[in-house]
Amino acid sequence: MVMQSTAAGLPQNSGGKGAKRSFSVAFEPWLYLSPGLVLLLLVLVVPLIFGVSYSFRKFSAFKSEYVGLAQYQALLHDQVLGQALMNTLWWTVASLVLQFFLGLGLALLLDRDFAGKKFVQAIVFLPWAVPSFLSGLTWAWLFNPIVGPLPHWLFALGLKAEPTNILSDPATAMWGPIIANVWFGVPFFAITLLAALKSIPGELHEAAAIDGANPWQRFTKVTLPFLAPTIAITVMLRTIWIATFADLIYVMTEGGPAGSTNTVATYIYVSAFKTLDKGYASAVAVLLLALLILYAIVLIRIRRSLVRYS
Amino acid sequence: MASVTISNVQKNYGAMNVLSAVDLSIADGEFVVLVGPSGCGKSTLLRMIAGLEEISAGEIKIGDRVVNDVAPKDRDIAMVFQSYALYPHMDVASNMGFSLMLRKTAKELVLNRVGSAAKRLGLDVYLQRLPRQLSGGQRQRVAMGRAIVRDPKVFLFDEPLSNLDAKLRVHMRTEIKALHQQLKTTSVYVTHDQVEAMTMADRIVVMHDGVIQQVGTPLELYDHPANLFVAGFIGSPGMNFLPAVVARQGNKVSAELTDGQMIPLRPELKVEDGDRVTVGIRPENIEVGTSAALKAKIEVIEPLGLSTQFYTRLAGQQVCIFAMGRTDRGPGDTIALGIKPADVHVFHGKTGLRLS
Repeated sequence: MVMQSTAAGLPQNSGGKGAKRSFSVAFEPWLYLSPGLVLLLLVLVVPLIFGVSYSFRKFSAFKSEYVGLAQYQALLHDQVLGQALMNTLWWTVASLVLQFFLGLGLALLLDRDFAGKKFVQAIVFLPWAVPSFLSGLTWAWLFNPIVGPLPHWLFALGLKAEPTNILSDPATAMWGPIIANVWFGVPFFAITLLAALKSIPGELHEAAAIDGANPWQRFTKVTLPFLAPTIAITVMLRTIWIATFADLIYVMTEGGPAGSTNTVATYIYVSAFKTLDKGYASAVAVLLLALLILYAIVLIRIRRSLVRYS
Repeated sequence: MASVTISNVQKNYGAMNVLSAVDLSIADGEFVVLVGPSGCGKSTLLRMIAGLEEISAGEIKIGDRVVNDVAPKDRDIAMVFQSYALYPHMDVASNMGFSLMLRKTAKELVLNRVGSAAKRLGLDVYLQRLPRQLSGGQRQRVAMGRAIVRDPKVFLFDEPLSNLDAKLRVHMRTEIKALHQQLKTTSVYVTHDQVEAMTMADRIVVMHDGVIQQVGTPLELYDHPANLFVAGFIGSPGMNFLPAVVARQGNKVSAELTDGQMIPLRPELKVEDGDRVTVGIRPENIEVGTSAALKAKIEVIEPLGLSTQFYTRLAGQQVCIFAMGRTDRGPGDTIALGIKPADVHVFHGKTGLRLS
């Protein structure tokens, strides 16, 4: 039906009605797209505009007022934000690197056949199904020396001088949420990379084996180039998710002790819902958005130069 | 270059026996085609020569060296895959030079070898292209080029032409054959297409159910098929088969068909009166319109211009006749068929083995 009406709308005469007709020709496809466009505008663009507009206002208990760039000026002098940015960087990089390499390792293991593979696969993917609040609570308890075994194990292994909670020491506190996050996020990489591995034709590995490639060369010259597009896109998505992921940290440490686990995401949450400074929270969120967009652009550029085939 | 000797080789997947006691020696420089229906074990045998499949029992030698436990890369072989297995992220030059690069060959030598192989295959203008930017035939050539730059002892081909359209397949067939005549490298070629086998092979190995049925030159197989399977597999259109009972009257031997009609057989044939046999006659060995006694009814006529194919009904079986020239007969006509005793293949009624 769409095809037919589009065909009917094509220029048929170039007479006096030409201008009017060409407008309707140009307009017609947009009409067909309009339900989707309206939906996109309502769901994506409108909330974004509201969110950004909040960052130009100051909210108090019963009213809000326009303050221009005042919130952004405040950003520049915010010491807490500076530390939160550094914490975010550390939290994101450490979580991402560990999640990626463990996920890749698991995917490579699961790509070969062994007894009980199905069972192991189910176990590996299980953390993904656990709600993040629950995993945060569980890990917080595991690190707690009163109810959890981890401090005692670390002490027994000689890694800690005393069986104390790593979450209560500013020097080590960030490791708690990072470990929980790695546990939580490994399945994502394992699933996506395993799917990508499965898509590599077996004959390519055989051809490489005959061509004289050893297992390491087969991995670097055949497997990795095949995984590169998937790696680029998953690393990008995951970075954005981790950088904006506040649940685990908030549940486990609430950004403490002494702001040592305070990331930009938790800072936004605290600013908006504890300090009730919604305007400032919005300004910080816009800053985070800008940084992540910048990061995504860089990564997409890198991906384009890496991936020369479809 | 080297010979390939396969002695008593077996392949089992668990309890399933895929190849049983295969013996085959391939001479230095020979072009051998393994042919058979899918699942006959021909690809498995080729992959065992390549080292991609383990050998369950027996021994495979390339030259004088037993290669059972030698890794594929150390067997000095090159393989062309059905899917070509080109590296999609490398351009044509890198695809062809990959094996040399892995062997740390000097860059200039790699360029040289790739250049001359590309020239030979008409790929020199495509060296910087990626596989996805090439047509099917060009990809096939790159796969060939990747094999020849290595200058291996043995070429292995695993149905390399089955992904091409019919016209290109015929063209590449002659190209591969010409290439072999230039390079004279020992080649093992797997196909399910008997025409490919007939046109390319020095010797054909017909396989069925993991067992070699017959080994011989194309015309040996065509003229003296060892059993019903080979007789039916080689030749297009295929051989006609008719169940019959031997009737021997003194020096005169004939085969009595189920409807009572007689086909004369060679008197020296080692058969007894009353033996159940299957008679095989090639379509081009039946003459139409002679005064001989055999009568058949035409069901379908296929005029091909140069020749005509008749599909007739004889003793309840469909019999195909291939005659040069054209015909004025039509479906429903009854025609007389002439068959020379020397052209009749006789197979044992139960075992299907050729009787001589």
